Amino acid sequence: MKQERSVENAVLAGPIVLFLLAILGFPTLLSLVYGFSETTFQTLTTPEFSGLKNFRDVTADPTFWQAAWFSLRFGAITAVLQCALGLALAVYLAPLVRRHGWTVAILIIPMIVAPAMMGLMYRLVLHEFAGPLPHYMYSWFGWSPSFLGPANVFKTLVVAETLQWTPFAFLLFLTAFQSIPDDLREAAAVDGTRPWRLFWKIELPLMMPTVFVALFIRFIDGFRVFDNIYTLVGAGPGGSTTSMSIYIYETFLRRGEIGKAMAAAILLFVSAFVILALAQRLMRRRTP
Amino acid sequence: MKPRLTLRWIVFAIAAFVMNFPVLATLVTAFKSSGEVSRNPSLWIEAPTLENFATVLTISDRLNVYHYLWNSLAAALIGSVLPMIVAFPMAWAMVRRGYGRAILFPLVVNLRALPLIIFAIPLYMMYATLGLLDTRLGLGLLLAIVNLPLALMLLVNAVAEIPVELEEAAHMDGARLPRLLFKVVLPLCRPALITTFVFGFITAWNEFLFGLMLTTREAVPMTVGASFFFATSGGGVQWGTASAVMVVAALPPLLLGLIMYRRITGSMVAGAVKG
Repeated sequence: MKQERSVENAVLAGPIVLFLLAILGFPTLLSLVYGFSETTFQTLTTPEFSGLKNFRDVTADPTFWQAAWFSLRFGAITAVLQCALGLALAVYLAPLVRRHGWTVAILIIPMIVAPAMMGLMYRLVLHEFAGPLPHYMYSWFGWSPSFLGPANVFKTLVVAETLQWTPFAFLLFLTAFQSIPDDLREAAAVDGTRPWRLFWKIELPLMMPTVFVALFIRFIDGFRVFDNIYTLVGAGPGGSTTSMSIYIYETFLRRGEIGKAMAAAILLFVSAFVILALAQRLMRRRTP
Repeated sequence: MKPRLTLRWIVFAIAAFVMNFPVLATLVTAFKSSGEVSRNPSLWIEAPTLENFATVLTISDRLNVYHYLWNSLAAALIGSVLPMIVAFPMAWAMVRRGYGRAILFPLVVNLRALPLIIFAIPLYMMYATLGLLDTRLGLGLLLAIVNLPLALMLLVNAVAEIPVELEEAAHMDGARLPRLLFKVVLPLCRPALITTFVFGFITAWNEFLFGLMLTTREAVPMTVGASFFFATSGGGVQWGTASAVMVVAALPPLLLGLIMYRRITGSMVAGAVKG
C-alpha cells in the first residue's frame, strides 16, 4: 500500500519535474559552464575554462554598474508611484466600482496590452511630428519638451511604466479594500469617525499586507524591465536607459560576448534571489 | 451622496483617459490616411479610412501579418495549455498528500519573480543544438515556463476548495486514482482551468523578449512582427500602417481580456497574494 502510494506520487509529479528539468535544469547547468568559460559564437561547442575572468570583466565594466543602478532606481521609483496612485484610485473609486462593475474593465485595459506594444504606442504618442502629445503641447503652451532626449528620457519611461501598471496596483488594493468588513466602517461611523481618520486608522492598517505585496511585485517587474524600454528607445541616448535585462541582451546578441553575458546573468540571478529571500522574510514577519 | 459620485465619475474618466491614452491615439491614427497623419496629429479624424488595415492585411513579401498571428496563436496555445497539463496532477498531490509542498511549490512559484533574461541565453544555446530555434514549439515551451507558476498556484487553490468528502465518496465506490482525477477532480476544477487558460494565453501572446531572441524568420510572433513595421523603409515610420498593425496585434488579448475581465481580476489577486 505504502509503496503503491509513492509510485503514484512519482507519477503525479513526473510531468512537471521532467518539464522543469528539461527546460530549466539543463540550461542552468549550461549557464554555469559558459559563465566560467571563454566562448564566442564561433567556439560554442568548445568552451575553454577561464575561471572568474568573465565575472572580473563584468564587474569592471562601468556599463554593468550603470545598468544595475538604472534597474534599481527604475524598479523602486515606479513601484512607489504605482502603489501610491493605485491605492488612491482604489479607495476613492470603490463606491463607483461597487455600483458599476464595468468601470474596472476600462481601467485594466493598459495591463492587457503587451508592454512591447505599449512601448511602440508611446513612440507614436511622443513623436515630434506625428505624435498627439507634442501637438497639443505646442498648440496649448507653444512649447514641448523633448520627451526622449537625454534630460527627460528617464522621467518619460517612469511615467509610461507607471501608467501601464498602476491598474495592477489598483486592482489589488480594490480587492483588499472591498474585503474590509462593512460593520467596521459602520461602527466607526456611529462613533463619528471622519472618513479621513477612518482611512488612516482602520482601512490603511488593514490593507498594509497588500501594500507590501504590491510594492514587491511591482519592484521586481520594474527591476527586470525589458520590453517597453527596448521598443521605445532601445539602450537610449548614450546607453542611459540600459536596464539589466537590456545590458545582458546587448552583451549577448549584439556583441557576442557569451561568457560575459552569462556571468552578468548569474550575478543578476543571485541578486534577484537575495532580494526575494529578504522580501519573503520581511513579509512573513509582518503577517504572522 | 449623489454629487460625490459625480466627482468620482470625473476622476474615473480622467484616469481612464490618461492611462489609455497611447491605446486611444493608436486606434485613432490607424483610421487616418497617410496624408492626414502627416498633416493632422490630433485625436480628431477628418476623413476616416480603412486603407491602413487593407495594407496590413494584404500579404507582401516582406511582411505577412497572418504568419505572425498564426505563430503567436500556436505558441500561445502551447504556452497556456501545457502548464495546466503538467501542473494539474502535481497540484492534486500537493493538496491531498502534501507531496512536493516543501520544495517544488516554492521553487516554481518563485520562478515568477526571476528576470527571464537569465534563462534566455542558456536556452538559446540549448535550442541551437536541438534545432528548436525559430520554431513555434520552442517558443511555446518557453512560454509554458512563464505561465507555470500561476497555473500551479491557481490549480492548488482550486483543488483545495473541493470538499474532500466528494473524493472519499468516489473512492468508496471503487474509483481508482486516474478515474478519480479525471472524472471527479478535473470537472470540478473547470472554473480555475478557464481562468488559468485566459490569463496564460494573454501573457503568452504579449511576451516579447523570448520572441525577439529565439525567433528570426519562421516563428516570429506578432509582438515582434509588429516592431518590424517600425523599422522598415528608409522614409521613416509609416504611422498609419504601424498603428493598424498594433491594433491587429493587440486585439486578440484585448477581446479575450475584456470578455473575461472578471476572471482575470480574480486570478491576478489570487496569484499576487500567494506570490
